[in-house]
Amino acid sequence: MYGRGIYALRDVSLVVEKGEFVFLTGPSGAGKSTLLRLLLRQELATEGSVKVAGRDLAKLTPSQAQSYRRAVGFVFQDFKLIPSKTVLDNVGIVPRVLGATSVQQQRRTFQVLKWLGLQHRMNAYPLELSGGEQQRVAIARALVNEPALILADEPTGNLDPDLSLEIMNLFRDINSRGTTVLVATHNRELMRHVGRRSITLDHGHLVETA
Amino acid sequence: MTAHWFTYCFQEALASLGRQRVSVLLSVLTIGAALLVLGGFLLVAVNLDRAVSTWSAAAEFSVYLDDDVSPEQRVALNTLLSSHPAVASREYVSKADAVVRFKRDFPDLAAGLADMPNNPLPASIEVRLNPAKADGVTLEAFARQLMETAGVADVRFDRRWLERLGQIAAGVRWAGWILGAVLLIASVLTVATVVRLALHARRDEVDIMQLMGAPIGLLRGPLVVEGILQGGAGALAALGALYAAYALVSGRVLALLGPAFDAASFGFLPARLSALVVLVGMAVGCAGGYLAARHVR
Ligand SMILES: Nc1ncnc2c1ncn2[C@@H]1O[C@H](COP(=O)(O)OP(=O)(O)OP(=O)(O)O)[C@@H](O)[C@H]1O
Ligand SMILES: [Mg+2]
Repeated sequence: MYGRGIYALRDVSLVVEKGEFVFLTGPSGAGKSTLLRLLLRQELATEGSVKVAGRDLAKLTPSQAQSYRRAVGFVFQDFKLIPSKTVLDNVGIVPRVLGATSVQQQRRTFQVLKWLGLQHRMNAYPLELSGGEQQRVAIARALVNEPALILADEPTGNLDPDLSLEIMNLFRDINSRGTTVLVATHNRELMRHVGRRSITLDHGHLVETA
Repeated sequence: MTAHWFTYCFQEALASLGRQRVSVLLSVLTIGAALLVLGGFLLVAVNLDRAVSTWSAAAEFSVYLDDDVSPEQRVALNTLLSSHPAVASREYVSKADAVVRFKRDFPDLAAGLADMPNNPLPASIEVRLNPAKADGVTLEAFARQLMETAGVADVRFDRRWLERLGQIAAGVRWAGWILGAVLLIASVLTVATVVRLALHARRDEVDIMQLMGAPIGLLRGPLVVEGILQGGAGALAALGALYAAYALVSGRVLALLGPAFDAASFGFLPARLSALVVLVGMAVGCAGGYLAARHVR
């Protein structure tokens, strides 16, 4: 619930199993982003509870919350890239500063950038990139740490249909290796193509799960 | 934490300082001014202390003898003097020597002395003190003991005004710390405000890092380092200004004090105090930075 008594989500009861691939859909303003933000603990639920892997997110200490977030790959609807850092730094600055400099880690970074067709833009700054390129950097950042949970908010909103399909295939690959994936999208065609469980929200209510 | 963490904090802090040059200059100057006041007082106190100790080293203790002192009494007195740790050396001045000295020091009055039927000047023992062991309490007690010794007419020593000077030095030092502390508290708040401005300028970045799971320490670190760098810079500026002022003024002060004062014992803040000033500056910066960093939660 946001201030002034507006419920962004109401009576939403939802269980996503480990290793599932789930689409989250519904009209604009339905509460998709809000649900994903709750799962990143960017917001705390005013009522009810949000549990991930059996742990109530509201009960995490600040430092537990940060370590939980490091285990989540999040693609923000508005990308949230750091303008003063290069693509390379944006993808994985946190683990690098924390000391993860293994060769394996580096190889992983280059691999992910290559998957997303960004290997030539590693040293560019976000504002020098097109919207689609920025979005792909945001996706790379979410994938690079091999998170246990990927939360993607409109990850293909700025991409052409072919690239969108490629990204969905990428998510599917990652999902097939055990990562739980939640993707919020308006794109029905994409959902049909991937053909996974989808959850529809409308005005904060769960209306359909198919 | 790790070396990367350290480098990261430094790089971020330097970049942020570079972006906020004007406000950073303001806080560096504030810290600098506060430390200049503190350092100035300390410099005066240090030199007063030095003066006290050079003058104490030169300080003498005069033990005047009765005219009818017996040889046994003199032997006993000498034993007493030679066994006391505060006594560095002693010199016997006979009644005849005293006249010679008097004529040398006060030639105008010498004629009057010559008119007197017998020599009114007493014999004395001039005692040079060892300043390291000659603290006021010890000397007072020793002087009293000497007074009560047979054959001693009087004991004079010029410690009291030196002690007064020592107290003034201590007072100046305290005034410096108190005034400095008030100004330093103001500096902490200035640094906190300036670092908060810097935080405000890169709030988005900090928020993003936080959503990516950066530990709070990683987000606060650069802010604290920013404060420390400002404090250190302010301290160095203060020391520089203080040294310039010292170089300008010291020659004139020495000329004023005249030859009675040993120029070699006059000097700038010793290395340890200078380092302390820098440390205080960095601590002030650290406190300011931390106050600002608490806004990252
Ligand atoms: N910070 C906020 N304060 C108040 N209301 C908010 C806030 N964020 C979102 N809302 C409201 O919550 C509701 C759900 O928003 P949300 O962003 O979750 O929608 P969405 O399904 O992601 O929409 P879109 O498809 O346009 O991204 C909307 O009515 C929105 O106005
Ligand atoms: Mg949304």
